[in-house]
Amino acid sequence: MAGSFMRRIAVFMADVTLTVDGKKLTVPAGTLLIEACKSTGIEVPSFCYYPGLSLQGACRMCLVEIEKMPKLQTACTTPVAEGMVATTESDKIKQARKSMIEMLLANHPLDCPVCDAGGECELQDMTFKYGAAESKFMDMKNHRDEQQWSPVVYFDRPRCILCYRCVRVCGEGMDVWALGVQNRGSGSIIAPNKEDHLECEECGMCIDICPVGALTSGAYRYKTRPWEMKHVGTVCTHCGDGCKTTLGVRRADTGMQIVRGDNRDKSGINGDFLCIKGRYAFDFANNPERLQQPLIKRDGKFVPSTWEQAFDLIASKFQEVLASHGPSSIGVVGSNHTSNEENYLLQKFARLVLGTNNIDHHRTADFPALASALAGKKDATASMRDVFNAPAILLIGNNPTEQHPLLAWQIRSNVRLHRAKLYIANSSPIKLRRQATAFVQIAPGSEGAFVQFLTANDAAADAVASPQLTREALSQMRDALKSESGLVIIFGSELRGSDVTALVNYGLSLGAKFICLGDYANSRGAADMGLYPDMLPGYAPVSSATRFHEHWLDEVPTAPGLNLLQLVDAAKAGNLKALYVVGSNPVARYNIDPFVLSKTFVIVQDMFLTETAASADVVLPVANAYEKGGTYTNTCGDVQMLKKAGEFSGVRNDFECIVRIAAGMGCDVHKLVPFGGGGTRADMGQSRGAQSGESDQHAVWLADHNLEPKMSPYDPVAMLDEIQRLVPGYDISRLGLLSGHDEHTQLVQITGATGMGHPELVMPANDKLFTSGTLGRFSATLNTVMERYRTMPEDVEIAAGYDPMVRE
Amino acid sequence: MGIVKNIAAIAKGMSVTFMEMFKPTIVENYPDGPGPTRGAMFQDRFRGMHVLQRDENGLEKCVACFLCAAACPSNCIYIEAAENTETHRVSGAERYAKVYNIDYNRCIFCGYCVEACPTDAITHGHGFELATYNASSLVYRKEQLLAGTPAHEGANAIFSQYENARLIPKK
Ligand code: SF4
Ligand code: SF4
Ligand code: SF4
Ligand code: SF4
Ligand code: SF4
Ligand code: FES
Repeated sequence: MAGSFMRRIAVFMADVTLTVDGKKLTVPAGTLLIEACKSTGIEVPSFCYYPGLSLQGACRMCLVEIEKMPKLQTACTTPVAEGMVATTESDKIKQARKSMIEMLLANHPLDCPVCDAGGECELQDMTFKYGAAESKFMDMKNHRDEQQWSPVVYFDRPRCILCYRCVRVCGEGMDVWALGVQNRGSGSIIAPNKEDHLECEECGMCIDICPVGALTSGAYRYKTRPWEMKHVGTVCTHCGDGCKTTLGVRRADTGMQIVRGDNRDKSGINGDFLCIKGRYAFDFANNPERLQQPLIKRDGKFVPSTWEQAFDLIASKFQEVLASHGPSSIGVVGSNHTSNEENYLLQKFARLVLGTNNIDHHRTADFPALASALAGKKDATASMRDVFNAPAILLIGNNPTEQHPLLAWQIRSNVRLHRAKLYIANSSPIKLRRQATAFVQIAPGSEGAFVQFLTANDAAADAVASPQLTREALSQMRDALKSESGLVIIFGSELRGSDVTALVNYGLSLGAKFICLGDYANSRGAADMGLYPDMLPGYAPVSSATRFHEHWLDEVPTAPGLNLLQLVDAAKAGNLKALYVVGSNPVARYNIDPFVLSKTFVIVQDMFLTETAASADVVLPVANAYEKGGTYTNTCGDVQMLKKAGEFSGVRNDFECIVRIAAGMGCDVHKLVPFGGGGTRADMGQSRGAQSGESDQHAVWLADHNLEPKMSPYDPVAMLDEIQRLVPGYDISRLGLLSGHDEHTQLVQITGATGMGHPELVMPANDKLFTSGTLGRFSATLNTVMERYRTMPEDVEIAAGYDPMVRE
Repeated sequence: MGIVKNIAAIAKGMSVTFMEMFKPTIVENYPDGPGPTRGAMFQDRFRGMHVLQRDENGLEKCVACFLCAAACPSNCIYIEAAENTETHRVSGAERYAKVYNIDYNRCIFCGYCVEACPTDAITHGHGFELATYNASSLVYRKEQLLAGTPAHEGANAIFSQYENARLIPKK
């Protein structure tokens, strides 16, 4: 963070040249000595310094010798100067560091064997490096019992080394200010905002950043030790922001159990940020209610069955319905939590194998409107990284602090570190207004009118008017926005259809980039992959001939299918004979009377016996996104790889289930999943191209991209190959994906048809910080934090007595 | 000449045999000897089946720090930690080992775990009769490894497994 901050100042400031340990280096003026050293590979030890947070100068571990300066200096607070000559290792420095550690250890309990930080504790590492193994102090250590501040935050006071990182990250980073300092000097104590407990966002950032085991996590408490875990970097499966998370997994009775989530390696778009959901709410996977066996309903009761029985039953039922009532009597509902590959496969299965366009998902934002408004314009969407670097941001609707925690973090950090300008129009006084350059509180539901106002339509001002708003403020914001270059416009699901078109036209005239906020981890992916009755992947209308028609879609009806609500109506009328629901809970989400589905053969793939699953005829227990590979597209369009971390015995992943059902129906699986191929052993001499008598375009594409044909029909990467080949915007770097980077896609519609999408079908879930749809209901941690059960005051006031600008 | 030489050689050899015949035996009479070890004798340093010791209050010494598991070259120690509560106190520190398994299929009796233990909880006892027809019974649980009484009350490692059989209530 500080790195890019420095780079930014560098534009304005000249470089200076200095010498560190005999190495000459040139860095921008204003760089801190500790960062300059880091840039050339010299590590200066530090406790209180943390990149991106204000300077503290409290621990004096970073002492270095600088020529012409009388005493040792703290590298973390000293900016570089022209001709500076610094030494970072000498006997004098070693001695100074050693005595600093001695001081820190004076009252440290040294209970490393029972401390959760043991093994990855910065104090342990430093003691190991600088010695100080013997104490010169004779006094008894001052013991204090460990305190539990919340279900997830524990505080062990004697272990604290008073680096104030936690206080700063909670205040400056999170803007929660829940932690403060009591007393002065060495008697200082870190204290929670409610005397003996915390009321905060429970993000765990303070725990993560604590260099020792003073703040520890309730969820991870005593579960294991760092070296016992395997660490897997994957993507959070909750909100649409797509934080990278490193999951610690350990073997348990049910398979590999996830015991910890963090992102200490700062890989990914989120750096070390995670909200409570990413950090703790992986525990739905271990919920005892989780299904471990396929269930088939017989005489109104579920009986466990084998996978073979379940697949056979589903395949034969589909064939029966197809033969008797035709493809239009089957509906498919996709998910916001399954991977891109599974979504693509599902719609391909529906269109190719079932022969129907009756496919939909729970829509949480009007992505099609944005795609069609952009009309093929490239580089017009912003990535999550852009939100941290953009000079100006306009936020219309939504409440990112609650609904998009990472986005809120990026905005706050950008404003704090880069002095970005933030403009907000919202119908409630959302917390981010505290960072805003300008905030207008508009009338509820008037976001569209606000856009009209921006496009110089003064008449719209009346519709926007609210008691908290003056006409001047509104006009001032419009004028200020006019002169912003490099603007990023972020809008929530309040804006749909023609409002989005108007906003895009307005924004493009300013050269802005856009972000449309959808609710769930792969809401954007579900939209991009064509889980729509009237659109194919890439928002291509089903009615027009597209590249999908060339490649696999020859016999599909070109008329749009039924959307979710129409599917329900069809079920009511008795016309829906089979419904295939993958990872979704429409019965609860759309408040459907389960009786409506009683005449429909319902197949549900889910982790739990949800309301929809309870009214199903067959339930297949499946893996969640932490337990499989694939890709996710976050709400900005950044694609990231999922890696298999957890494992739960008895379940299979959605991808395999779909392929198995298709195979059971007699479908040639090669047509569904492009695996095998020219001349490889797995191919058994049957490449797709050879079968259809055409040149094998897939094989040509693979060869062109230096990729190998995949060997298994259950390999989601084979589907990714096809997605990258056929879905516009997804021709991203495979190498980047594989090495764990986020790759931004273009939001380009295949044909520039306008007026697509059905804004009225967008039903945002409006999950808050402590809820996450079905997943949240089954997460023990999310259910135990008390903040979930109260409405947070929009504003948590700054903890009295702590001013970040004043240092002791 | 040759015959005399041969006879002399045989006589010399047999003399050793006959001399040994009348000396007292120094082989242990295991397994038919007296006492709980059935005649087996050990050097003190013998590394046999592990014993998880108790402190002077009878609480378990192990605090589930996983250091033994980290030190173990054959990766045969499996631990699950849990927290002591006011009503349920198992060890002297904040945490204790809820599960502590040693897989004797893999243990090489190297003693590294004993070296690593910060609380002297795990020790090598002298138990050695581990052979079995069923490999799965070689995974010993905490209940099988735990000393019955604190060491100063005579939890002699040699006898601990016999004591355990006596002291641990049957479910
Ligand atoms: S909000 Fe709570 S959990 Fe997050 S840093 Fe602040 S005190 Fe810690
Ligand atoms: S609790 Fe941890 S992060 Fe906070 S001041 Fe103490 S040592 Fe630093
Ligand atoms: S901000 Fe969103 S993606 Fe990131 S950890 Fe929280 S829920 Fe997960
Ligand atoms: S004796 Fe060696 S092999 Fe056996 S448990 Fe201990 S460390 Fe592992
Ligand atoms: S036996 Fe010793 S080293 Fe092993 S977990 Fe227990 S206390 Fe730690
Ligand atoms: S790191 Fe420089 S004083 Fe703490």
